Amino acid sequence: MAVGEAVTKKRKSKVAPWTQALERVPWWALILILIGVYISYSILNSETYHDTFLFLSEGVKTTILLTVVSFAIALVVGLITGFGRISDNIIVYNIATFYVEVVRGIPLLIQLLYVAFVVVPLAVQGLNAAGSFLVNLGPAGFLAFVGEPLANVNIQNVNMLYRAIFGLALGYGAYEAEVFRAGIESIERGQMEAARSLGMSYWQAMRYVILPQAIRRVLPPLGNDFVAMLKDSSLVSALAVRELTQLAKLNRARTFRSFETYNTAVFLYLAMTLVLSIGVKVLERRMSGGK
Amino acid sequence: MNGESVVQITNVHKTFDNVVRALRGVSAHVLRGEVLVVIGPSGSGKSTLLRCVNGLEKVDSGQVVIDGTDITAPKVNINKVRAEIGIVFQQFNLFPHLTALENVTLAQKVVRKRSKEEAEEVTRELLEKVGIPEKADNYPSQLSGGQQQRVAIARAMAMNPKVMLFDEPTSALDPEMIAEVLDVMLDLAKEGMTMMVVSHEMGFARAAADRIIFMDEGRIVEEGTSSKFFENPDHQRTKKFLSKILH
Repeated sequence: MAVGEAVTKKRKSKVAPWTQALERVPWWALILILIGVYISYSILNSETYHDTFLFLSEGVKTTILLTVVSFAIALVVGLITGFGRISDNIIVYNIATFYVEVVRGIPLLIQLLYVAFVVVPLAVQGLNAAGSFLVNLGPAGFLAFVGEPLANVNIQNVNMLYRAIFGLALGYGAYEAEVFRAGIESIERGQMEAARSLGMSYWQAMRYVILPQAIRRVLPPLGNDFVAMLKDSSLVSALAVRELTQLAKLNRARTFRSFETYNTAVFLYLAMTLVLSIGVKVLERRMSGGK
Repeated sequence: MNGESVVQITNVHKTFDNVVRALRGVSAHVLRGEVLVVIGPSGSGKSTLLRCVNGLEKVDSGQVVIDGTDITAPKVNINKVRAEIGIVFQQFNLFPHLTALENVTLAQKVVRKRSKEEAEEVTRELLEKVGIPEKADNYPSQLSGGQQQRVAIARAMAMNPKVMLFDEPTSALDPEMIAEVLDVMLDLAKEGMTMMVVSHEMGFARAAADRIIFMDEGRIVEEGTSSKFFENPDHQRTKKFLSKILH
């Protein structure tokens, strides 16, 4: 088969050598750039596009804020849960695994709705109850001072943006946990043995020897997840958070200009994700070339 | 030598996965300033024995006492004991994300709480001693196997250990690099370092060992001074092993 392939290739290039050059052109990128130029041009010159762009760019800010904050929290949640997944402590291991398996088995949209309309209200009720309890313990003094604001937290005042951040962070935390776990487990056993043999504690060895190596290895997958979260943040429109997708929906309802509205939304999402994926690729290359 | 045991191993048993009986009642000791070499065919339990001495393997039964501290006791602070025991591995196990200098200074700073300056001074002296002062700022991947193993020895020595353990330190090396590592070990032995060495290097055993233990199938078959061991071993199993290994 290999021989046959070589023969066809040779024949092809003999017939038309310029077709090879044409095959190598990244047409997809060229078309993408052309579309980008077209939409940029329209934004500058067409009033409808210009208006749409201004309306949506507020949403871009929210989308970026949402993604950056949620991802930062997801990283912390993921690292802690990742340690739980490799813990020798049966209770810790089971709690971490329960969280990871439940979250990974539920659609993100349902998670967001569940967190926003079930978990957060329940948590607020819990806070209220705890607050009332503290107030009833003593009429004045420190307990009442702490208890009163807790008792008066109103669910109406918990901004949907915060609930969305909480939901996204919890949802992605489970995936980041698996990334961190895999990264830590990929470090050779001898590294932990060498560190412990020098008298370091488990956590000292983690901090100075295992994690610096593991994090270097998981940077590319973490970068991919960041891009994925940027896209998944559009689901938050279901909570009426005024991010890019939600504003696109509002703009269409306001102007009935579906074509311009969604073209601009796609353009803005692609602009963000393409830049980020190039960043991730550069990172990947540097990591693989580093050692 | 004043006859005091730094390492005292008493009737140690160790089984892996309930099937492989790696150690079947081993007792041994290393006196202060003594070099003990452990030899034996692969699978005889010599590496397991060494790893039991610093608690990398937990013993099933028996006792391991390091300089008066029973590390098999339930509530022992194993980190504190391990800081007093240096170990050199077959695969070096240097930290690849750190330079040679950082490899040697890390535990000094984290465990011994030495200042950066003090730790680096100790490190430079040790790298000088193992013959590679110019490699301080190189990463392990830029060093040859022999150089890596010498950094690993310096890393263990930097903790001022009471005893040094060597787990087949030359087995993963190219033949021409073995000598440079053995020379460093010989120097240590001459300076009076207490050492327990698992090795196949009979030349080193002859030159440096005060005593030799021969192990087979998880038991100590024969124990004796280096000259007696090589010239006039008691046991048939030892003779058979030596005839194969010495040609």
